[in-house]
Amino acid sequence: MSQPRAWIGGGALAVGMTLALGWLSQVPYDAAGDVDAVVRLAWRTRGTRVEECRRLTAAERERLPIHMRQEEVCQGRTVPYRLVVVLDGRSVVNETVYPSGARADRPLYVYHEFAVRPGWHDLDIAFTREGVPSDTAGEQERERLGERESAAPPRLALTRRVMLGPDRIVLVTYDAEQRQLILKGYGAP
Amino acid sequence: MNRFLRRLLAPADALLNGLYGWRLNPLYHSGALVVLTFVLLLVTGLYLVFFYRLGDPHASIVRITEQAWLGRWIRSLHRYASDAAVVAVGVHAFRMFAQGRSWGPRALAWVSGLLLLGLTLVLGWTGYVMVWDVFGLVLAREGARLLDALPLFSEPISRAFVGERELPGAFFFLNLFLHVALPVGLGALLWLHVSRVARPGLLPPRGLLWGMTGLLLALSILWPAPAGTPADLLRLPSRGPYDAFYAFWLPITRELPAALTWVGGGILGALALLAPWWSRPRAVERPAPSVVNERLCTGCEQCYQDCPYDAIAMVDRTDGRAGIMARVNPALCVSCGICAGSCAPMGVGPPGRTGRDQLAQIRDLVAARAPAPDDVVVIACTHGAGGVAQESRFDGAPVLPVDCAGSLHTSVVEYLVRSGAAGVLVVACPPRDCQNREGPEWLEQRLYHGREAELQDRVDRQRVRLVYADLAEVGTVAAALELTRRDVGMMGQARREADIVLEAECDLVAAQGLDGRQGPERRQRSQGLEGRRR
Ligand code: HEM
Ligand code: SF4
Ligand code: SF4
Repeated sequence: MSQPRAWIGGGALAVGMTLALGWLSQVPYDAAGDVDAVVRLAWRTRGTRVEECRRLTAAERERLPIHMRQEEVCQGRTVPYRLVVVLDGRSVVNETVYPSGARADRPLYVYHEFAVRPGWHDLDIAFTREGVPSDTAGEQERERLGERESAAPPRLALTRRVMLGPDRIVLVTYDAEQRQLILKGYGAP
Repeated sequence: MNRFLRRLLAPADALLNGLYGWRLNPLYHSGALVVLTFVLLLVTGLYLVFFYRLGDPHASIVRITEQAWLGRWIRSLHRYASDAAVVAVGVHAFRMFAQGRSWGPRALAWVSGLLLLGLTLVLGWTGYVMVWDVFGLVLAREGARLLDALPLFSEPISRAFVGERELPGAFFFLNLFLHVALPVGLGALLWLHVSRVARPGLLPPRGLLWGMTGLLLALSILWPAPAGTPADLLRLPSRGPYDAFYAFWLPITRELPAALTWVGGGILGALALLAPWWSRPRAVERPAPSVVNERLCTGCEQCYQDCPYDAIAMVDRTDGRAGIMARVNPALCVSCGICAGSCAPMGVGPPGRTGRDQLAQIRDLVAARAPAPDDVVVIACTHGAGGVAQESRFDGAPVLPVDCAGSLHTSVVEYLVRSGAAGVLVVACPPRDCQNREGPEWLEQRLYHGREAELQDRVDRQRVRLVYADLAEVGTVAAALELTRRDVGMMGQARREADIVLEAECDLVAAQGLDGRQGPERRQRSQGLEGRRR
């Protein structure tokens, strides 16, 4: 290549590549895609801990080593909740929320997002503790509210009409102090 | 596959050689360019960290951007240099793979290189989270979503970003800590990365160094990097500036379940990490490491100095004689054969490729077909050399392929000249492009500057030309061949003319005002130099 052509070509290529670098470093991108507004449900609650206890029969006790012969055996677990969400009259969630953790003894987490159009929306949310198993004959059930104050109440509900502006996210979350579901975000009235 | 990729690379190499010359071809210096960007990042980062505030990250970035004289372009340079790093790493890794430098003793460089790449991307990630604009938030949330799919945390970390409460300061502190601490790991990895190469070229040549720094600086001043809209946990990410170099994967992974992203990424990562295993040639095709013939080794240390992979150590002799001798560590030897070209007594080299083997081979070739008096024999490296070595003949010239020009023993050149070849054209890859790092450099010094195992003084240098040509630079080789043929042709003519009775000739010259003998010689000298300069 002749010297002047190499100079011009080399310069142009270097400048072109540098500009391309600058452009690729700030490509306009819309991470929200075609979503205009969002209703977000996100909370964490300590579940209700129940212990199911059962009297051992005489025969069962016989089979145990002497030092383990208790009257009663108990098994603890955290009770799941049922989440029902109705958005603008349409049921969008109807599910059981189980406690997290390998032994299901960790908190319950709720996380859902619904893309909506900006404007008014009707929200109807119920978070209800699933039934504690009923007693069976001869068995005594005891419910102990482990960490009584932090466990969520048996039922949380929220029915509200909310206004969402464009690009807004309204958050429904659990306020552990007020022990109820609350709304947060721009759309909250 | 390597060959195919190498062919893809060749036209780009040739184009940039034409524009910048091989010395400044950025494609040949991709590894060193990454190091340069790291240096720029370190210098600019040290400035930025003074102004960064954990309490209000985005506002502090905006304040830096508002410092029109310093902060703005320093921050922009920090960003553009990080982008250039990704480009350069990409080119470097592609190049190493295409050249088949991903297996054997180079596996350590390959694997540590991939870790360097991974670390660079994570560093960029933390850097963007530091800015805490919309892009930073999207990256942070995507990272949290992906991490939550792993059984690492007792509570999902995505919860931090739902907007229930402000992000804890600990989050920004951890992020800043990572952004400052990871470069230390990067430094250590880089040391490991180049630990098996002797004399690693860590910085590009000056022209390229200042050229690239200047261009990035100009870009930073003329087109400063934006500080996007501040992150807001309760607002959808607006359309904003995204860095494609650090978030190229984002549009893909956001559409995929986190587990699938891990599986896909894991498969790709494992494939790349296992390249040293799947990309190596079959066992029978793998070249054997060098061996030293203790009987011939005089302990001169030249091979020890020349080996580009530090695979040779000097040890006490074991043959009862006093002194030291060379020993090759087969675990480090890539079988480049460069030591074969280093050793005057021809006592070292890969089996079948030592100086002795090369001489035997050329003797056989000459015995089968002696070069014609006007033949210019081409000795070409099989990896580049304008593809000459792939053709059995180049424009009718006899071609002798060698595995690396640096492995050529100069006695082969001498043998060819003595057996009547008019000239020898050695075609090597451009020095910075050498598959074996230093082959052409050592060869040039052996041919022209008396480096040990040098071409003997008795060989007429005017009959020997060295030209550098990349795989696609067929034209360069053709031109060099034509030039060499013309020059040796003129030398032949000059010699014939010297046989003519001098007085008659002088009369003729006086009558025509010509100097028939000096012309070709002078031209020859300047062209010989040019051959070296190119
Ligand atoms: C991210 C930062 C990286 C930096 C700063 C870097 C830098 C370098 C440098 C300076 C060399 C020595 C070059 C020489 O003097 O010959 C080198 C060699 C090498 N690099 Fe990298 N590199 C990086 C990433 C990678 C990646 C991602 C790969 C491949 C996956 C890679 C593969 C190699 C190989 C195989 C060699 C050895 C070449 C040989 O032994 O012939 N590097 N690198
Ligand atoms: S170059 Fe040859 S003689 Fe010198 S140390 Fe190496 S093997 Fe021995
Ligand atoms: S062939 Fe020789 S020069 Fe090349 S790596 Fe092995 S010992 Fe070193």
